[in-house]
Amino acid sequence: MRTTIFILSALLFSSCLRLDSLLYNPDSSIDGYYFDEFDGLAEIDVDATYKIADTLIHPFTLQSDPQGDNKTIHVVYVGDLENIATDTVFLYCHGNAGHLDFYWPRIKLLANVGEKNRFGVLAMDYRGFGLSEGPPTEEGMYKDVDACMQWLKDRGLTSDRLLIYGYSLGSAPATELTAKPRTLQPSKLMLETPFASDEVMVEDASGLSLPGSFFSDLEINNADEIKKVEEPFFWIHGTDDKFLQMATHGETVFANYNGSYSEAHRIEGGAHSDVPTVMGYPEYIEAVESFIKR
Amino acid sequence: MGVIRTVGYFLLVGLVSAGCNATRVIKPLEKGEKQVSASVGGPGIIFGGAPIPLPLSSVNYAHGIDTGMTLVAGGHFTSALFGVAQMDVGLGISAFKSETEKFGLTVTPGLNLFYDFNENNSRIYPQIEGTCWWQYSEKEHLIYGGAGTWIELVKRKAHDQVQTNEFMPWVSLGHQFNLEKWSYLTELKYIGFQQNTGSVVVNYISPANQGTVGLYLGISRRF
Repeated sequence: MRTTIFILSALLFSSCLRLDSLLYNPDSSIDGYYFDEFDGLAEIDVDATYKIADTLIHPFTLQSDPQGDNKTIHVVYVGDLENIATDTVFLYCHGNAGHLDFYWPRIKLLANVGEKNRFGVLAMDYRGFGLSEGPPTEEGMYKDVDACMQWLKDRGLTSDRLLIYGYSLGSAPATELTAKPRTLQPSKLMLETPFASDEVMVEDASGLSLPGSFFSDLEINNADEIKKVEEPFFWIHGTDDKFLQMATHGETVFANYNGSYSEAHRIEGGAHSDVPTVMGYPEYIEAVESFIKR
Repeated sequence: MGVIRTVGYFLLVGLVSAGCNATRVIKPLEKGEKQVSASVGGPGIIFGGAPIPLPLSSVNYAHGIDTGMTLVAGGHFTSALFGVAQMDVGLGISAFKSETEKFGLTVTPGLNLFYDFNENNSRIYPQIEGTCWWQYSEKEHLIYGGAGTWIELVKRKAHDQVQTNEFMPWVSLGHQFNLEKWSYLTELKYIGFQQNTGSVVVNYISPANQGTVGLYLGISRRF
């Protein structure tokens, strides 16, 4: 009888469902990147005021983790390639949906901080997103962002001129690689609507204190990783965020930061994906600029 | 975060944990009587514009260990799909029965047990439930209503946040159609009505954005 129970249990639990993959919502159906010419759904709309000159939009590919799980990932640099050795650059880590074109308006907003193209912006599609190869994974995402840092470092960027910005899912590589730097140490960390951890997602969804391990194998834990971050920290979150609630996710991450300087922007009426819109693009850009220049 | 697949995440988490089953013991079994039951259903959501119950499923076994006292234990299939063993065990006790035996009150203390085979995490939620029943026909069909709650024992949430949800209460209203050996149950349950569900991404059927209303169907056979 005990043997039968053991065999049945082993069969039942050997192929259990895990929810990790549901946190990634990539779109790999595109045939290219079109940026301003993209006529599909973009997350936010920005007007022509924020347009970037075509000569300053540089899409390319690079190899991520060439010595290990090598994947070709697609990247765009917005700015003057010749000035990376002297410019300050945003490394933009996008959210869990779509591809680079979906986030292009957000990238343009960062390219307008200060004045148009005052700062360079590098953004990538993590593996599995857009045209980037491979399935999305947590470690793969970190490697892809680090590969971008390596590309910047190879062109002369130094840690003191690297700013990292993580939006939603992108808060994971941004926090991880600031807390535990690999190639470069970002000098400032900016998180928009970050999530605290899988544990908090499970608690919010269930209304009970169930462990995250009940449902997924994710190890993303911004709420703990942020404790290791010394660099100045900018946090922005909408009060009406239904995906990653401000009170349980963002506030937890913000409260756990113990570094040198932090500022919080709680945007009244902002949902998960429209914080810059609700805040107003000029105000959003000014807040980011003010943080960078302090 | 992306909408469609990530909503699936929240749905599946809610599916396992929110309002897991129909009332286990409505009216205690006779001494020595046994019963096997299965129930499906769960919290209601709006999906594609239509209200549907989440398809939770569970089975349970009940045994009348004494007059007015039934031991019941159940297992949950949906949790098992995630590698989580979820069981419940309880004792249905007849607290009151009218002289005509047409009305009664059953109190059911119990435990809900979770064990995660992935990382060996576990949770225990004690529960208490009271169910009033009314046998309205000679064929012993029942109308019943009750209230109960799971009790949260974990005092600090993830990242040492203060636990604010100390209870997961519900009220229920149902009907049990009884044949000689078979019973068919239909139950409505209003779960977690103290919690605001307007701020979560899953579109629960929730009066005034509080809690969620669930529908359950059950079948049982007595031996």
